[in-house]
Amino acid sequence: MRMPRATQRPPLGPGSDTAEPEQLADPSGGWRPTVSGVALVVALLALIAVAVTTQRFLTLDNARAILASTAFVGITAIGATLVMIVGSAVSMAVSQTATVVAMMFLATQQLGLWTAVLIAVAAGVAITAAQGAIIGFWNSNPIVLTIAAGFAIGGIATWFSGGTPVYPQTQAFDLLNATPLGLSLAVYVLLGTAVLAQWVLSRTTAGRQMYLIGENRAAARAAGLPVGRVTTLAWAFFGACIALTGIFLASFNTSATVTLGGTLTLDAIAAVLVGGTAITGGRGSALRTLGGALLISTISDVLLLRGFPTGAQILTKGLLVLAVVVIVHVRTTRSWR
Amino acid sequence: MLRIGSLRFGFLAGSLCLALLATACGGNTAGPPAPSGGSTSLEGKTLALVGYGSANPWGAYFNKVFGEQLASTGIKINDMTTMDPGTQIQKFNQAVAQKPDLIVLAILDTQAMAVPIQKAKAAGVPVLVFDGPTDPSVANEVMSVLSDNEKLGEFAAQNIIEGLQAQGRTSGKIIVLTGTKSMLVTQDRMKGFAKVLATAPQYQVVEERDANWDPKLSGEIAQQLLAKYGRDGVQAAYGMADYMALPIIQAAKQAGIPVGGKDGLIVTGSNCFKAGIDSIKAGELYGTATEDPGTIAKQTADYVVRYLTGKNPPQSEIVQEERVTAATVDRFAEQCSHA
Repeated sequence: MRMPRATQRPPLGPGSDTAEPEQLADPSGGWRPTVSGVALVVALLALIAVAVTTQRFLTLDNARAILASTAFVGITAIGATLVMIVGSAVSMAVSQTATVVAMMFLATQQLGLWTAVLIAVAAGVAITAAQGAIIGFWNSNPIVLTIAAGFAIGGIATWFSGGTPVYPQTQAFDLLNATPLGLSLAVYVLLGTAVLAQWVLSRTTAGRQMYLIGENRAAARAAGLPVGRVTTLAWAFFGACIALTGIFLASFNTSATVTLGGTLTLDAIAAVLVGGTAITGGRGSALRTLGGALLISTISDVLLLRGFPTGAQILTKGLLVLAVVVIVHVRTTRSWR
Repeated sequence: MLRIGSLRFGFLAGSLCLALLATACGGNTAGPPAPSGGSTSLEGKTLALVGYGSANPWGAYFNKVFGEQLASTGIKINDMTTMDPGTQIQKFNQAVAQKPDLIVLAILDTQAMAVPIQKAKAAGVPVLVFDGPTDPSVANEVMSVLSDNEKLGEFAAQNIIEGLQAQGRTSGKIIVLTGTKSMLVTQDRMKGFAKVLATAPQYQVVEERDANWDPKLSGEIAQQLLAKYGRDGVQAAYGMADYMALPIIQAAKQAGIPVGGKDGLIVTGSNCFKAGIDSIKAGELYGTATEDPGTIAKQTADYVVRYLTGKNPPQSEIVQEERVTAATVDRFAEQCSHA
């Protein structure tokens, strides 16, 4: 079925991803600097200056390390972008889902690598899409629902494993630790996932509907858009991304405990927010999330190279998220005026 | 046709039913096995286990073995385990209010637990701490069965020195990924590590990073540090637990840095897990040390029985730790393969 004409092009207006260039351009077509725009440019220039004057920053090995440390969080963050754009805010069950998927992946290694991958991805999609369906069809609060889901999934993981690590019976998974052309396989999957997500968002009917639903769910429902179905689709894609992260995490660590997911939930949210996706929905892009994840990794890398402790890296991440959220909020509010 | 309201109500009711069913059927599966009576009769005695939660692999196996060891004594064990420091203090205070014959405690936040321990002392409830030590201000208020964390750090340094010397290196740079630095366990391990490393000044620590007992964070930091120092810039690495040392190995392999062997990166852990044992056998992890949950659980259970039967055990006992390398791995493989 074809979409109505009005929804076939990327949405415009306050919630639109294309709204930002409009804010920088005056009606005559010239560039009109805004406080937030100038702040962003200055901050980026400062980062570049600090980075290039940091010893060993401009090396191939360091670039590889930045990309590799971006991959795990980045893949999940790309999926989380669709969920945020469709207006479902965030999921608080990411770490637990990645952990369960990692356990299933390692526990089924004896069935063959690709069978184990399929089982793991199917599990990730099923667990996450089920939450999306409840949110999409029944308007459940995503934060409350996913906190509950996180406890349930974490409980199942502990019950299933008895708290002990899950070890694989074969080492077939080691293939996923390969480094073609010197880059870990997870980096290629991150790039592929970002391109796929961007294509879905900008070139498919469902993707465009995600922006419309995120911008105004009630209006989208009134207009007859399939809110439940599209929301579930976004969450299903998110589930596949979480599963891929779980698979790579399991392969990297060679075993899976119930704490394997670590801080993945908040790291992924941070990457999406730093990318400028609005937590209220209707605005954002997968490529910008990729940029957000890369920016966080680059800043962490610079701080580490300059000898700052781990705490300083976490603090900087928090301040960065706060700054970007404020800037996005200010720009969104202004564009409504 | 069903209305949405009915569907929501049905969903809610279904969820509640499932939760109740799970509660009813679940029983006490997470806790230690019930006492079955036996040789040492301590029927009627109660013990509150405010230990590590079973979400932690070390804690899960400790709880299992501890329960099994005491099953025949008749002691009633209240499972109050958790991995959250805040929750642990609440549970500890609940345990004090219940006035058990003994509280068995694994401390998650050393400083925050000092005041609750003083309250237990004031209430006349004895406390036995296992694994990590208490805050020094209350060390005399408790009994303890402690891991020898300083020794674990010493073993890690010995592994690195031995590995680098075997490669014929006359100098070497070392990176260290620690557990949470604010924990005394971490500080004690680093104290032992630094003491032994000082005997070989040609090998120097160039980076010491807090990886917070987190395998994912350990991998990320290792990737960045190995890039910072380049392929020939680091010769050895210490990950404070095996699950922190293995991500270092994986990060090195992905960066094209050889591991182990005649000229590869020497990597050591300092408390053993099955994955670490497998890695030693594969020639990648140079070594680790015991601090396995089974051994400390047995010694703690034994202490409990001695205390409750009035045998006046010493106020503090240290668990014997062992160094594990390729030369001794077969001896400790079984002991280290339960977590």
